[in-house]
Amino acid sequence: MTPISRAAPSGALAGIRVIDFGQMVSAPYCAKLFSDYGADVVKVELPEGDAARLAGPFPGDRPHPEKSGLYFFHNTNKRGITCNVAHPEGRRLFLNLLERSDVLIENNLPQRMRAWGLDYATLAAANPDLVVISITPFGQSGPYSGWNGYDLNAYHLSGASSRYCGRPGEMPLEHGTFSADYFGAVTAAAWGLAAVYGREQAGGGQQVDVSCAEAIAAAFVGGQNIGCYAQERRFDKRTGVGMPLGAPATILPCRDGHVWMLALEPGQWNGLRKVMGDPEWASLEMFQDMYSRAQNADVIYEFIREWTLQHGKMEIMEKCQAAGCPVTAVFTVAEAAAQPHLQARDYFVDMEHPQLGRLKNLGAPFKLPACPGGPERPAPLLGQHNGEVYRERLGLTTSDVRGLAQRGVI
Amino acid sequence: MSKHLPLTGVRVVNFGWVWAGPVVGQTLGFLGAEVLKIESAARVDMTRNLPPFADGIPGPNRSLSNHACWAGNGSVSLNLKEPEALELALRLIATADVVVENFGPGVMERIGLGYERLREARPDIILFSMPAAGLYGPLEHVRTYGLSLTSLTGLDSLVGYKGGDPVPVENAFSDPYAGIFGAFAVLTALNHRRNTGQGQHVDFSQQEAVMQMVAPAWMDYALNGRSGGPKNNEHPVAAAAPHGVFPCRGDDRWISIAVCRDEEWQGLVAAMGSPEWAATADFATLPARLARIDRLHAHIAQWTRDFDDRELATRLQEHGVAACPVLNVGDLLDDPHFRARETFIEVTHPLGFRETIYGAYVKTSRSRPDVRPGPAVGADNERVFRGLLGIPDADYERLVRDRIIY
Repeated sequence: MTPISRAAPSGALAGIRVIDFGQMVSAPYCAKLFSDYGADVVKVELPEGDAARLAGPFPGDRPHPEKSGLYFFHNTNKRGITCNVAHPEGRRLFLNLLERSDVLIENNLPQRMRAWGLDYATLAAANPDLVVISITPFGQSGPYSGWNGYDLNAYHLSGASSRYCGRPGEMPLEHGTFSADYFGAVTAAAWGLAAVYGREQAGGGQQVDVSCAEAIAAAFVGGQNIGCYAQERRFDKRTGVGMPLGAPATILPCRDGHVWMLALEPGQWNGLRKVMGDPEWASLEMFQDMYSRAQNADVIYEFIREWTLQHGKMEIMEKCQAAGCPVTAVFTVAEAAAQPHLQARDYFVDMEHPQLGRLKNLGAPFKLPACPGGPERPAPLLGQHNGEVYRERLGLTTSDVRGLAQRGVI
Repeated sequence: MSKHLPLTGVRVVNFGWVWAGPVVGQTLGFLGAEVLKIESAARVDMTRNLPPFADGIPGPNRSLSNHACWAGNGSVSLNLKEPEALELALRLIATADVVVENFGPGVMERIGLGYERLREARPDIILFSMPAAGLYGPLEHVRTYGLSLTSLTGLDSLVGYKGGDPVPVENAFSDPYAGIFGAFAVLTALNHRRNTGQGQHVDFSQQEAVMQMVAPAWMDYALNGRSGGPKNNEHPVAAAAPHGVFPCRGDDRWISIAVCRDEEWQGLVAAMGSPEWAATADFATLPARLARIDRLHAHIAQWTRDFDDRELATRLQEHGVAACPVLNVGDLLDDPHFRARETFIEVTHPLGFRETIYGAYVKTSRSRPDVRPGPAVGADNERVFRGLLGIPDADYERLVRDRIIY
């Protein structure tokens, strides 16, 4: 492929044109990774808007379609247009946009795309070079591909919660966020960007079919559990403890919150002993290696808890780290926000949004010194760039665009 | 289907170890890149000694999870404490596009492979570094395991039973997550190099990448000053009810049910046989259900407990309700969906044994990777040192004898 010539490339993905036809988290976050690193991303919303606009969190808990935090976060650096793809004229416009794009990122259930007449065969016919990144809970094929589903369903289908998340006898837990959607989003970004980068190599565009459940079942659960199960027909379940094979490896309460208490290797254990002031119990024979400590987990966790409860988490973290022991404080979100380290690295960026005002946002997820990325422009208002994009991309006139709006197409 | 994978022709030298670094290379390998792990018999990667082993026989080339996480990668072995080995590594890097490492900050410099040195070998090289908390800053030398890295992002504070303490997630979700995310970062740098001819040193902080997952809670903090806590399986931004897992018949069987839209609620009510409680104003709208979510979930749990999880999922799906069985590890290999998608595959290792690993967990319509299990230590030594670098036979034999190539 010939280099994309551009006088002043701005961002690593300069020159790549993306249509984001996603809602909520998975596809929008995947598209944000493209837009925050310099791709030209146009978000296409149905006239009623991305469902995230109704999901919040909202300032003061007052719902407003232009004030959703979830929408704001996942749509930075994008331009936004509306298009009613259920309307024949809207569908035509959408396909025309795709003819002039490199990538489509979407997370609609496959039956919904078919109902709109936007199945992959149609998209590929409109533009054979188009890379279509489809992110769904279950994927485009297989018996569950026609099922309704969300992040929650995908995560719990993967085996991750039953194995790793929760206490035995109690319900398995999700991971505190849209963890299946995020896992699917970064997976789709990596595989999808490769398909764009190597488009000539691969012989043209293609569909990149990401199932959030499958990505986690394979790369997270499968990596460490499937070989054993296939060979020995034996598998483990959640313990609620942390690491059952070695100790200490768990979350323990302290005076002002919690710490991730980890001291497995001998040097780490000795470091922890020193920080605890070399208590007498710590020299007992049964505590001298991580395996026997794990066999006596109840006893040792009781002892360590007595100590952690008397100290603050930052103090415990600092002293343990200095002693070579990988103990960390469990930061709350507010504490993570106040962290000098993240501030020193300029991880947070102040942004201005016409409806939300000024707010502190998370910045680039990784640093590219030669071509810095990260959010700069706020998420678009609904249909904010209709005039601009339809004129620039499809050559429509201002009165064409007005007509489309009047006919309910956009 | 074509074997023309998109990254064919890209060469990656991978110093990654344990899990996150290897997955960066594995992902690029699935996509067609030639990935060579540099390792040494002098200091064996700890995952190679991670049980279980093929046929139960321990050995660095028999760890089943290692074969999954290093699938598709090659291996060359060099004892980098030897100056001659370092020179060989640099000669190999001169032929490569990308170098991956997940040591702590400064380690690459210490072993003589800092970014400046790599640039001398290859001016447009991309060095991808992924330390726990980035290459600089007050926490640059923080010690974590993948298991606990999430504690530095706020994520761990959100996992657990409602109103209770945080419950530790028992494996490092952040490792494969950051690994796959890292492959995206490498690709952005490759694209920039294609646009400009310029390489760079990518500073990928696992903390910062993983913290993006906290965004829903982060936004509530940024907008309302609230710092969330554990809440079972409830929706991250309280936009769905019911939203949880509910007990089914049998030992530790559960079903996940998520209701975001009104039609889905109507479907659930119909599937439950329109019980009286569900017809009251208390549960008629999403805000009403959210306000009484504990009561709502208790009602549903009462109803689900007599059903088989799979039968109930099918029944709820017929009513348009997002519902799925909660699978355990033992269910995965036989699950019809994962079987149909060939999520897990049986392969033959070059050492002769059969084993099950995960395959291409993303389906690409134009090309399908040929998945091979992770390599034996030094499996590609001959091909790389004799073939690629053109080292004469006598020299090669001496280097092996002297444990430079080792």
